[in-house]
Amino acid sequence: MPAFYPHNTLLTDKPPMFSSKTYQDYRFFCLAFAVLAMLALWVRPTQDQARPVYNYTFIIDITRSMNATDYKIGDQPVSRLQYVQYSLRGLLAKLPCQSKIGLGLFTERRATLLFEPIEVCQGFNEIDTALAKVDWRMAWAADSRIASGLLNSLTLLQQRDTNLVFMTDGQEAPPVNPRYRSDFSALKGKVPGMIVGVGGLQAVPIPKFNTRGEPDGFYRADDVPQRSTFGEADLNPEKIPGYNARNAPFGDATAVGNEHLSALQESYLQDLSLATGLSYQRLTSADAWADALQSPTFAKQQRLHVDVRWQAASVALFCCLLVYVPLGKMRLKAV
Amino acid sequence: MSLAFTTPWLLAGLGLALLPLTNPGIRPTPYAWLEMLPADPLSGLIAAALRLCAVLALTALILGLAGLHRTEQSRERIGHGANIVLLLDRSNSMGNTFAGKAPDGSEESKATAARRLLSDFSQQRPHDLFGIAAYSTAPLFVLPLTANKPALQAAINATATPALAYTHVSKGLAMALDFFAQPNLTGSRIVLLVSDGAAAIDPDSELRLRQYFKQQQIRLYWLFLRTANSPGIFDLPQEARDDNAQAMPERHLHLFFSSLGIPYQAYQAENPDAMRQAIADINRLEHAPLHYRERIPQQDLSGLCYLWATGLLALLLSAKFCEAQR
Repeated sequence: MPAFYPHNTLLTDKPPMFSSKTYQDYRFFCLAFAVLAMLALWVRPTQDQARPVYNYTFIIDITRSMNATDYKIGDQPVSRLQYVQYSLRGLLAKLPCQSKIGLGLFTERRATLLFEPIEVCQGFNEIDTALAKVDWRMAWAADSRIASGLLNSLTLLQQRDTNLVFMTDGQEAPPVNPRYRSDFSALKGKVPGMIVGVGGLQAVPIPKFNTRGEPDGFYRADDVPQRSTFGEADLNPEKIPGYNARNAPFGDATAVGNEHLSALQESYLQDLSLATGLSYQRLTSADAWADALQSPTFAKQQRLHVDVRWQAASVALFCCLLVYVPLGKMRLKAV
Repeated sequence: MSLAFTTPWLLAGLGLALLPLTNPGIRPTPYAWLEMLPADPLSGLIAAALRLCAVLALTALILGLAGLHRTEQSRERIGHGANIVLLLDRSNSMGNTFAGKAPDGSEESKATAARRLLSDFSQQRPHDLFGIAAYSTAPLFVLPLTANKPALQAAINATATPALAYTHVSKGLAMALDFFAQPNLTGSRIVLLVSDGAAAIDPDSELRLRQYFKQQQIRLYWLFLRTANSPGIFDLPQEARDDNAQAMPERHLHLFFSSLGIPYQAYQAENPDAMRQAIADINRLEHAPLHYRERIPQQDLSGLCYLWATGLLALLLSAKFCEAQR
């Protein structure tokens, strides 16, 4: 046979395997590097990384004033409570895994916990359903004593390692007598967290419901107490018209006011936030609020095993592609 | 079996995996006259196999990077399981001991005992779905039916917070029944009412409750935590005029449940031990075999992809070592 190929030295001499030229070919190095990268992938598939995780317990005000409609989702006007639910469900989807969310409700002068913080990825459905089911009809008593409720929430959570997020419009009903304000000094700074002001600054009417839970117009001025009549008045008795220490400690004048309308009591909530050491944030848009809750102030750095196989795999992919992209042809033409 | 990707847009890179079909990835060796080379089917086969290996290696890498996984599956199994809704009384009196006093450290409150025993109960029943509703004056929705035991524990733990106002059992029952108002819920449906008191049920809701209980085929267990010296559910009236729901709500709630025509069992526990007994009894009773769907969690397949890629790349590298050069 060799006789037919007189000019071809290749076929007459057996070519050496593992010739030194193998090591001059860039393709060899690329493949070798790709294999090395894959080995590295198996040696170190995960990496310890500190990731921020969050632990929040949301206490939602479910008193009547939270039914006031002054938010919009898209074009649909929604109540404050509905917007709170919408924002919370949005936040739930955004929080990184290993974060935890607990839920509680506030009405009257107390808060109750529905559940302690649950991990958000495993428990997404459970938390989401529970959030969707929050309803003003769950209120076990009337009244809206925000400061007492806040104090009660702080007491509930002071032993638990969680951030309190107290969501309210700040409307005390009946109005609070400034003489008997809650005293937060014992709990100030004990529980980290945030008071979230819900509602618009413009006073809007509060929807009323009948005994069957059907909408029944709005509260009128004579449906609600317009001033506090509890205890002693904080004013100088001489200045109160018709004052009688026993029978009319607040005077005999008809109280007029706008307590049947509801607006976000921002300055009051800011005072409460100062007194409790919580920060204050107004809920204007769900997205901005979700970002505020993912601030480093509330984050805890947790060491997680993060999957880093993609790094090595991308290197291997790149190297392997270098072998097969038509670089060689170009080089050959150039020669 | 359904497959999915975490970052599907990376699949666009699959086009690159076809590159080896256009380019052999071998340094071209100049020959004087190609037609002089004889056709060699074996060589052709090896060349094609090497290209295929390269295509597969690239594909495996891209699939791995895109995060190939099998989505969460469920498979039908026969075992012991049930859908259990715990309906918990959050009225003020649950915070007291069985003796009716505030807990002083030596004796636990009814709520604490209930919490401890219920969390044991839920741990003992791995295949059950549990839901939690609570009630005092108004019903509170806590957790939907779920197999997520840590979440369940978190909700049971939360009942450690001080109790609320009064006992309005009919609203609570209505909410508990609402848990079962979902289609394709298989398995027995159980409501476990844990309370230390009862209340009259108004005629309006009575009618509706009767209807719901029947429709949903509920099995009802009432764990009544009786405080010392308080009326029990099996007490008989001393005078006929006391025999009404206002005077003896416990007895009348029991009569109401008995008249529903559904499987119903009442337990009157006067101490934590009796309560443990009752829960053990329910645990034993609810062991009828039933069909349930077992969840098979999402399974990551990118590791498998990387394994294939490693093997194929190693093969390509070893082929590179065998390359004849001039």
